[in-house]
Amino acid sequence: MTRPTKLAAAALALLAALCLPLGLDHQGYAIRVATLVFLFGAMAQSWNVVGGLANQMSLGHAAFFGIGAYTSTLLLIHAGLSPWLGMLAGGVLGGLAAALISLPTMRLSGHYFALATLAFGEVMRVVANSWAGLTGGPVGLSVPFAPDSLALFNFKSTVPHYYIALAALCLVTAIFVWIRNSALGYRLRAVRENVDAAEVVGVDTARTKLVAAVISGVLMAMTGTLYAQLNFFFDPDTVFGAAPISIRVALIAIVGGVGTAIGPIVGALVIIPLEEAANLFLSSQVAGLSGFAYGLILIAVILVQPHGLAAIGRRFQRKSKGAS
Amino acid sequence: MLALIQALADGVMIGGVYAVISIGLTLVFGVMGIVNFAQAEFLMLGMFAAWFLWAYVGLDPLLAAPIAFVLVGGLGMLTQELLLRRVMHAPPVAQIFLTVGLLIVLENGALLVFGSDYRSVSTPYQAQALKLGPIFVSVPYLLAFVASAISGLALWFFLRASPYGRAMRATAQDPMAARLSGIDADAMRRLAFGLGVGLTAFGGAVILPYLTVSPTVGGQFVVLMFTVVVIGGLGSIAGAVVGGLFVGIVQSLSGLVFPIQLQNLVLFCVFIAVLALRPEGLLGARR
Repeated sequence: MTRPTKLAAAALALLAALCLPLGLDHQGYAIRVATLVFLFGAMAQSWNVVGGLANQMSLGHAAFFGIGAYTSTLLLIHAGLSPWLGMLAGGVLGGLAAALISLPTMRLSGHYFALATLAFGEVMRVVANSWAGLTGGPVGLSVPFAPDSLALFNFKSTVPHYYIALAALCLVTAIFVWIRNSALGYRLRAVRENVDAAEVVGVDTARTKLVAAVISGVLMAMTGTLYAQLNFFFDPDTVFGAAPISIRVALIAIVGGVGTAIGPIVGALVIIPLEEAANLFLSSQVAGLSGFAYGLILIAVILVQPHGLAAIGRRFQRKSKGAS
Repeated sequence: MLALIQALADGVMIGGVYAVISIGLTLVFGVMGIVNFAQAEFLMLGMFAAWFLWAYVGLDPLLAAPIAFVLVGGLGMLTQELLLRRVMHAPPVAQIFLTVGLLIVLENGALLVFGSDYRSVSTPYQAQALKLGPIFVSVPYLLAFVASAISGLALWFFLRASPYGRAMRATAQDPMAARLSGIDADAMRRLAFGLGVGLTAFGGAVILPYLTVSPTVGGQFVVLMFTVVVIGGLGSIAGAVVGGLFVGIVQSLSGLVFPIQLQNLVLFCVFIAVLALRPEGLLGARR
């Protein structure tokens, strides 16, 4: 697609997304699923900055997500601070955590990087579970109830959450595209293709990776606040969990297409409704059936379409171009 | 002081088992260059195989262990042939997430077939302990340790002395050169994956007398196994033995100081530190 067609398609999709709640029950299940699609799309897009642009397969992004969720909620509980400000505080802490984990894992790549970040996420989960004085431990945290208020990020209806999640997805995607087209994006690509060559031509590879990791951590932590406010309740095993967060966001980006702006959006549109449908129809039957089906689909996608679903569209384009 | 010696002895015993279950993981990486995130699920399968053999045939888990090795090893060869072979030359992303998918399928498949119950076996030696001077050695720990040591030695002998073992090591060193000298690299990878997950299943069977099995038991072992192999150096078998003993001792000693949930924290920190400072492993093996 040419650039104007791309923009037109994006505008059309956005318009459709903006109008969607008109046709849905405001407290219903469908709008909740749609909200989760955008939220997880935004999370996967944050991951995409490190996983896609720098090609560093992080399996520990739950660490930043959980930090965001806990920071804003704890500030709300103990200091009465609005979650909007708490989200900024969480973003700062998430960025710091990303810098912290970047220092020891900077030189790692491939399987080693995945392992180290996986362990980092687990460290955060164990800490959140054991430091009950701060986090409430395994019992989890409830977001205090407040009347409907934009300032306190508290809504009875799902519709405001829907628009906030949509805005988050657009914002993170815009940041992703901006980074990709900026000098940082070119440096990241150089690092991804060949670290040594990038170093030789004068790219500060360590700094480049660090900046990408921090941006990704900040964005991921901020989505943690959105999740906390949407759900009203969370515990360490959910927000710091490897399977529910870290692996899931990476999976969404991979199924959609790693390193592309559209990938995490396509991935979230496929994976989240699929999960919800599996939960709805299969988990009432036998325990494990929905997870089993989910795993099989994942394996099938990787074997059949290792470059993600976004690549299918590209292939069609190439074909049609070849035909014309 | 006595508590310290006791903890050391316990640490060595559990560490020996950790070594064997992790040798499977390191063998798979050494020959195939793939980190198998689903490895701990094969441990779970080994535990279930031993449990069923105990419950329906009346076989002691230690005697069921070789059968678990064969069953799970066969399943592993099938997995390699049908799934992993297809991503051998794919980028790491595909390899990582294929094994993650395998993990999800195996865990939920076990939940489907076996249910979520926790199962354990009862053996005559379960609660016994030997008194060696001032310290006690738990009999199930000791037996698991001995069984692990025997299987580890058997593997070492296989790799050193048998033609298959030599061909497998050759494939690990240089697949291209191995192929040029007439070794079927695909067959070697199949054998390595079968042996690797079979060995891990063997370890699962021998620890059954002092643990319980459920479909989610793998989660307790996954980071532990990675810690062991990373400390020893991914792909190094001698390293996995040292790493296993080290992790067993660290876990046992930190149990003296920290509550149980923080024991894993100590391990994770060791893990990240080793990855950061010496990604080639403490022993410094090149692979």
